Amino acid sequence: MSEFIDSLIKISPKSLKISDDKVAVELADKKKLLKVCEKIKRKFDILFMLVVVDRPPNFELNYIFSKYEGKDTFILRTIIKHEDTIDSITKIFPSADWEEREAYDLFGIKFEGHHNLKRILLPEDWPGHPLRKDFVITDEVKNWTGLDLKF
Amino acid sequence: MIFDEVYSVLTAYLPPKVDLVLSVLVTFVLALIVMIATPIILGWVDRKFSARIQSRYGPIYVGKFGILQNFADVVKLMGKNFVTNRYVDKFSYNIIPILSSILSFLIISLLPLGSSGLVFVSLPYNLLFIYILLAFSPLLIIIASWGENNKFAVLGGFRSAAQITTYELALIVTFISVGMLNGSYDIISIINSQSFIWNILYLPLTAIIFFIGSLAVIERAPFDLPESSQELQAGWRIEYSGLKYGLFLIGDYVKLLAVSIIFVSLFLGGWSGAFLPGIIWFWIKTIIVLMLLMSLRWTLGRPRIDQLLSIGWRWLLPLSVINLIIVEIVMLI
Amino acid sequence: MEGKGIELNIGPVHPATHGVLKLVADIEADTVKNAEVEIGFLHRGKEKTAELRYFNSYFPIVDKLDYVGALNWEILWASTVEKAMNIETNERVKYIRTIMAEMQRIMSHLVYIGAFGQDLGNLTFFVWALRERELLMDIVEEISGGRLAPMYNRVGGVFYDFTDGIVEKIDSALLRIEEKVKKEYKAMTYENSLFMMRSKGIGIMSQKIIKDNGVTGPNMRAGGIKRDLRKDEPYLAYDKVDFDIITEEESDVYARFMVRIREILESIKIIRQLLKSIPEGDVKISTPWIMKVPPGYTFVRHEMSKGEGAMFLVTDGGLKPYRLKIRSPSFYSLQALPLILEGCKVADAFAITASIDPVMGEVDR
Repeated sequence: MSEFIDSLIKISPKSLKISDDKVAVELADKKKLLKVCEKIKRKFDILFMLVVVDRPPNFELNYIFSKYEGKDTFILRTIIKHEDTIDSITKIFPSADWEEREAYDLFGIKFEGHHNLKRILLPEDWPGHPLRKDFVITDEVKNWTGLDLKF
Repeated sequence: MIFDEVYSVLTAYLPPKVDLVLSVLVTFVLALIVMIATPIILGWVDRKFSARIQSRYGPIYVGKFGILQNFADVVKLMGKNFVTNRYVDKFSYNIIPILSSILSFLIISLLPLGSSGLVFVSLPYNLLFIYILLAFSPLLIIIASWGENNKFAVLGGFRSAAQITTYELALIVTFISVGMLNGSYDIISIINSQSFIWNILYLPLTAIIFFIGSLAVIERAPFDLPESSQELQAGWRIEYSGLKYGLFLIGDYVKLLAVSIIFVSLFLGGWSGAFLPGIIWFWIKTIIVLMLLMSLRWTLGRPRIDQLLSIGWRWLLPLSVINLIIVEIVMLI
Repeated sequence: MEGKGIELNIGPVHPATHGVLKLVADIEADTVKNAEVEIGFLHRGKEKTAELRYFNSYFPIVDKLDYVGALNWEILWASTVEKAMNIETNERVKYIRTIMAEMQRIMSHLVYIGAFGQDLGNLTFFVWALRERELLMDIVEEISGGRLAPMYNRVGGVFYDFTDGIVEKIDSALLRIEEKVKKEYKAMTYENSLFMMRSKGIGIMSQKIIKDNGVTGPNMRAGGIKRDLRKDEPYLAYDKVDFDIITEEESDVYARFMVRIREILESIKIIRQLLKSIPEGDVKISTPWIMKVPPGYTFVRHEMSKGEGAMFLVTDGGLKPYRLKIRSPSFYSLQALPLILEGCKVADAFAITASIDPVMGEVDR
């Protein structure tokens, strides 16, 4: 596992480093994401989870990869600004499809290159993104009925 | 005929003409009682029997052993509001439940209910007439499903039409086989001609084909694909509720009884049997066949529509035709 | 057949969609051309709720995630918080949790096979499966006081110890379930020709689909991938028992059904071994009800009855989680559903949907 991490960091020693808590590899340059993911795909089969943590003004995206043999998991962490977009990894890991839609739904992160980026858990016309720390229950949320949606 | 018996009793006490009118009325009331009591009692038996199979109690609160539960349910159905969807075709929507229940009642009025005299309408070719009545139902179902203006209903209606037409063909061939063997299309004479050896011994294959085919034609589980509640919710009955839905249910049970009576009459010798009076034999056999039909419903899952149709076309129809030819050859010899 | 097909809305209220799943299927004649899955009708914001609750007060919420496998999720949440706090529970708690998890797995699988039989038109089988589930429900009720949502675990232990004589009761219940599964269920389903006719050869989930969509659990094992977190990454007391990973090769609806049937027998085996060797000890350790969890990232995954469930807990040293992400296995199985629905018959669509065992409480969170 540590060899894999070393070889991964070799791709771009400037932007990749092991995180302070030693559980993840941090990616500083989000443009390198797809390239790093292609490398990860050689060892891992699926995107196991995509955990978005909102630390205003940043989003911290934890990509957890897993595979079908053995117990290895690998966490790739990248930090983006609230208003930033990020590349979708669905082309490399198709299992990221619904996870990215969920992240878009609950946090409002736009994934570039996702083929079907629309809300998944909440209704289409829901005001705001509820898992953001700055989400407040406004009158618009209180008075939401779902009846304005056009079919 | 029941009418004759009633008339012969009443004519002794009443002036002429009055007795005729009154016996028509009495017969009508008797028919009504039979037709309303049948589904209620059968419904109770079905519920209790299925409960036994499923390790449940079934109805227990209304009356002893819950025997009045279905009366209560009928009252409940009558009290229900008529909910009509805005998009349905009103005329066909309203007329179909009535027509379809009348159809099932007509079938049972042609059948002997225990002895040669206990029949409401006696016609010389009543077996063929029953077949015609059974053949009517896909027409009604198509009209109902189209009139309901619902996708699930249309799917169910087409399934139903395909299924019934397939299995009716097999059914008519079995009717012809039995008719040829006994030299008559009259149910009562068919029964009388098998007083020594039942038809099922001559025609075991035909009996099986009839059993399967009739289950499919009356859309009884496991062949209840057109109204399968897990797939099409209620198929072609999806928009019906209240008393209109109740009429379908009543029709179902009447058809179930009719099919078991036909089976007993055609293959199990009707009221022929030793020691006991004929009418008791008749009902014992009918109840056994009924239980068999019901237990199938509660133990088997349903096949897919294309599988069902391919069974019908590939196996049942050819087998019944071959069977018919064999009967013909045997009769010629 | 040329022409425009019908667009059929199946659900969210439909008897065969196991809750509030919605399928939008384009059908032509009797064939599903393509299907789209819509979820979210049971979304209750559980991940947001986690940020507002104390760690121990979150158990009731976890219970309602997968309402037929509540104990599995409870144990996962307890393990996550324990790992974050660096608490080691004692052996007896581990054994009790393993036994409860396996009983819950049997109950969940029984609901699955019953509901699946019902979707093929066999209502009796549904009632029978629930009848056997009831035996275990009673045991869970006697131990924990709850049935569907037991609320039995807490951080650092469980609420109550096993009651007297419960071991014999579990034994007799398992014996009965084993007998029923091997005899009655066999006649009714997996050796019944009508059942096989309906379930064989449809809804084939190839290994590519499985790996593309992150499908785990029994659905994956039905495709011949030998993987089980209980074996590959032993947690609780699973390293002390001997059991096999059940796999099937065909990956069709029938194989998915058979994996569950055989896993029930395997779980029975596990429980029997554990009951024999259950150690003595105290079930509670003295963690306070409201406590602080040191900051950090905690990632725990367990083998649920539906697949690999996981929790990713982010803490900031406060009384409440900073962020909790729940990975529900059904979510990923449903992601694969449109791919296996393509080109099947309408009637099969319902069998296939039932066969991947979606529980909407878990999917929508």
